[in-house]
Amino acid sequence: MDEDILTTLKILIIGESGVGKSSLLLRFTDNTFDPELAATIGVDFKVKTISVDGNKAKLAIWDTAGQERFRTLTPSYYRGAQGVILVYDVTRRDTFAKLDNWLTELETYCTRYDIVKMLVGNKIDKENREVDRNEGLKFARKHSMLFIEASAKTCDGVQCAFEELVEKIIQTPGLWESESQNRGVKLSNNEEGYRGACGGYCSVL
Amino acid sequence: MAADSEPESEVFEITDFTTASEWERFISRVEEVLNDWKLINISSGKPLQKGVYTTETWEEKSDEIAFADFRFSVTHHYLVQKSSDKNAKDELVEDALPVAMQDLLCMNNDFPPRAHCLVRWYGLREFVVIAPAANNEAVLSESKCNLLLSSVSIALGNTGCQVPVFVQIHQKSRKMYVGECQGPGVRTDFEMVHLRKVPSQYNHLSGLLDIFKSKIGCPLTPLPPINISIRLTYVLQDWQQYFWPQQPPDIDALVGGEVGGLEFGKLPFGACEDPISELHLAAIWPHLTEGIIVDNDVYSDLDPVQAPQWSVRVRKADNPQCLLSDFVTEFFKVCRRKESTDEILGRSAFEEEGKDADISHALLKLTEPAPVPIHKLSVTNMVHTAKKKIRKHRGIDESPLNNEVLNTILMYLFPDAADKSADGSEARTNTSTGSIPPPDNEDSNLYIQFKSAPSDSLTYKLALCLCMINFYHGGVKGVAHLWQEFVLEMRYRWENNFFIPGLTSSAPDLRCCLLHQKLQMLNCCIERKKARDEGKKVINLEKQKETPDRDCPKESDKEKGEVGKSWESWSDSEEEFFECLSDTEELKGNGQEGGKKGIAKEGSKETVALKPEGRLHQHGNLKLLHSGHPLYVPVTQEPAPMTEDLLEEQSEVLAKLGTSAEGAHLRARMQSACLLSDMESFKAANPGCCLEDFVRWYSPRDYIEEETVDEEGGVVIKGELSARMKIPSNMWVEAWETAKPVPARRQRRLFDDTREAEKVLHYLAIQKPADLARHLLPCVIHAAVLKVKEEESLEDIGSVKKIIKLIISHSSKVLRFPNPEDKKIEEIIGQIMSVEATVALARSLKAKFGIEKCNKEEERKDLEKFIHSFLEQPEVSVLGAGRGPAGIIIHKLFVNAQRVASMMPYEEELKRSGSMDEKRLKSGMSSDFPSPAGREVILRTTIPRPAPYSKPLPQRMFSVLTKEDFRLAGAFSSDTTFF
Repeated sequence: MDEDILTTLKILIIGESGVGKSSLLLRFTDNTFDPELAATIGVDFKVKTISVDGNKAKLAIWDTAGQERFRTLTPSYYRGAQGVILVYDVTRRDTFAKLDNWLTELETYCTRYDIVKMLVGNKIDKENREVDRNEGLKFARKHSMLFIEASAKTCDGVQCAFEELVEKIIQTPGLWESESQNRGVKLSNNEEGYRGACGGYCSVL
Repeated sequence: MAADSEPESEVFEITDFTTASEWERFISRVEEVLNDWKLINISSGKPLQKGVYTTETWEEKSDEIAFADFRFSVTHHYLVQKSSDKNAKDELVEDALPVAMQDLLCMNNDFPPRAHCLVRWYGLREFVVIAPAANNEAVLSESKCNLLLSSVSIALGNTGCQVPVFVQIHQKSRKMYVGECQGPGVRTDFEMVHLRKVPSQYNHLSGLLDIFKSKIGCPLTPLPPINISIRLTYVLQDWQQYFWPQQPPDIDALVGGEVGGLEFGKLPFGACEDPISELHLAAIWPHLTEGIIVDNDVYSDLDPVQAPQWSVRVRKADNPQCLLSDFVTEFFKVCRRKESTDEILGRSAFEEEGKDADISHALLKLTEPAPVPIHKLSVTNMVHTAKKKIRKHRGIDESPLNNEVLNTILMYLFPDAADKSADGSEARTNTSTGSIPPPDNEDSNLYIQFKSAPSDSLTYKLALCLCMINFYHGGVKGVAHLWQEFVLEMRYRWENNFFIPGLTSSAPDLRCCLLHQKLQMLNCCIERKKARDEGKKVINLEKQKETPDRDCPKESDKEKGEVGKSWESWSDSEEEFFECLSDTEELKGNGQEGGKKGIAKEGSKETVALKPEGRLHQHGNLKLLHSGHPLYVPVTQEPAPMTEDLLEEQSEVLAKLGTSAEGAHLRARMQSACLLSDMESFKAANPGCCLEDFVRWYSPRDYIEEETVDEEGGVVIKGELSARMKIPSNMWVEAWETAKPVPARRQRRLFDDTREAEKVLHYLAIQKPADLARHLLPCVIHAAVLKVKEEESLEDIGSVKKIIKLIISHSSKVLRFPNPEDKKIEEIIGQIMSVEATVALARSLKAKFGIEKCNKEEERKDLEKFIHSFLEQPEVSVLGAGRGPAGIIIHKLFVNAQRVASMMPYEEELKRSGSMDEKRLKSGMSSDFPSPAGREVILRTTIPRPAPYSKPLPQRMFSVLTKEDFRLAGAFSSDTTFF
């Protein structure tokens, strides 16, 4: 079963505390929702294999704690991630306002510059929405991210979010290939091409 | 060949191939190949545009066929034209000549700078060559040649292929070809003569015209005009006054005091010898007709200065020694060495010193607060003595680096060492402010792409020094020696609380190479240790004031027993505290209460009588819920800094726990040491606090406040923990209950700096020179790229800029992976080498063409353009031929070389070069130029052949004459219908 897996991808989930990172992940991996999910300590980890466009990819998803104090600990796990899901809570504007900080943090600790980023506005099932969809869209466009609104509770958009992200990663050349597949740039050297021709130095002399 | 004769006939006719000869089989193989390559259609095409033989690409296809057991390779060479005039090709003219025959007369692509020799000789855009497959084989006998040629002839006839086919005869090095091309009612024979000595009558144009005329044997009078193109090539080898400006650097000078450290931070650049060995000037008369000029054995009109076209090419020296690439290459070679440092240096300096130290300092070790886990490396003595011993043992003469060099390097690497006795922190602030990279520019971020280290960091400097040492001072031995000294210095700094300079003061930067991270890690350890030691000093002073006599360490054992067991197992196993105090006073004060087991569990009921400890600052206006005292943010322990290898280990451990609920639980446990520590600090800072208080600081969103109206109508804010925090026995609650009020400084250390430092030092010590070179290779390549970039910017060469960009993107792909393949690194080094050679070439040209001396702005620009085109094209045409500014300079170069050759007095020459025209008149054929090293002549005409009533067909003869080589390549067409 493992043989046809194209690649293993490392995905991060980050965002302020209590925006529903762990719930989104739980919905995606186990398709359940637990209103009483304990606050994450440090980082947690889940695995799921998904198939996008016929390509099977194994996702190693690292869920992080959002509390300020844990931020001295969690960024170390950003290393080597190919994709990141940045979550905010549409019913709490402060979680949206902090997005910039998260992006800076990502930039500082991420080892790849071409990491694929997705913005997820969570908890759209709730009534007291504070952040408009358009605001999310605007933010995502500004920072060239993927964007979706979702609800871990009602399952809206969750599957889609992960699939989109994976698809995008697979489409990004050089991001997921292992080293052996990663071919170097070949500099054209005209001269060599002709050496084969006729012992081909072509000047009269 | 007659295979498909009448398959439908009723009578069975048996075609018998059983007796087919080898020859027949060979012919059918040739036909098969021509068929496979689809060369049997009638070829058509327009006359080619000027220069397409150089601008468009040539491709080739190969196959192998056998004649009996002799193997031949068949190769199809063809020009691939991308240009859009493909659609126009369909207009087939009836009975049109094959393209190849048209090409014979086309004058747009004479003397292509770079092409297959057959292209050069016959002007063909497409042809097939049959040659012996093995390089050392040759078709020598005349009968074999004829046999092959007739095979070709039959195959062409059978298939109707209009592409010329050649057979290579004689040794391959002689480039002898004969061939044939067939079209409807026409045939062209390609013939060749190749001699070592030139018969004197072919030395000049008139002789060649004679042979051409006799060959075509034209019966018409007057003869149709013969078209003549001539190219004479002159070689300039002697550069006389242009000494190559760059001398190999003086090795001894580097050691000398005055140059000193400065040189160690720099990479050399440039070629040690002139990268240009020859300059070839071609004077071209592209279009002459017979009678316009005279060129015979006594007189010649062919004065190169008068030639309408000039073009120049330079011959690059074979592998000129280039300093930068040599440096990098040599350093890269170190990666392949297998020996360890000890093996290289002869004996184990570390081990022996270590033994001494173990004994003499055993006592010291016992009394040290931290037991050192790595036994072998517990060198606790001062390193200076160790250094001395090593030297004594090895003997100064034997050590690969002499003292002077070594000291210079160490001073360069550790500029703070001069006043080491001064406060270390001062040195640190200096260096750390100095090493903050300038904001966002491309170069300063290169280290991220390359995963090397910032260009002002210690790691980077070390890489440069090792590179230099490897090249000039004892090779790998020197490397091993310097590394050993470096490691000793690291230990010295660790043991004496001196910061390592040239590293940003932060946790290891995971974007840098591992070695850099390790050094940063060591610095973190030093920082913690220093803080601890200083804290100890202060407290000891205080204590001496209070209670001079103290009984110490057993107290800690008692506490050990009381720490919650489940929590304990997750933190460091060594019994160590953040601040290793054994302050009995405080333990007696708080510890007695803390000693009663119950207290920690009833956190909220802790008596206010506890003296608050370890407060950092007040947290806004928040008040404790129960007591109403202000809420304080505690001093907390910093989490452990991590290098990428440690991190890898840890993530692996965490990931291995799996995705089950238990796994997740265990994982949370493992990471809760930090949470617990923070809770303990919080409790210590806020006596009488509760979990709600803690959550309000730590995770404010988990404390939900609601405004309610109480009975009296006043607005009251009521708060409670979020649902998830209220889950019974969730880990937060559990931890809170376990946490005792202990300020950070008395907690168990989350980060065991002693252990981590020893681990780093051990890691450093066991690195072989090869490992070291691998670690630092990204830094060296980084430095080399910067150097190349810097040098290029002085010359401003477009093509080089492009290549540098490619090198950067290529290397950032290769280097960011752990253990990049050697082949890929070699590729990168090769690219750097070619850039260096190109820049050197540009400089050499600049010097030769005297750009610096040129005063006229416009002329200078033209010259610069001219020089740049050398770097991009194999051959450059000279604007204005011999009369343009570049032409005049080239002319002078030749004149100077000639003058030296003939020992002419200088003054006279000056006068003469003043008025060149006059001079030429005087001396007839001037001696400004040497006799041409190569003469190429193309003669072309269209005449009926073989009979006067035959169709007029293209005839061509190419002749090339050099010192030891004379070749006539003729293509003579004849009418096969009317003869």
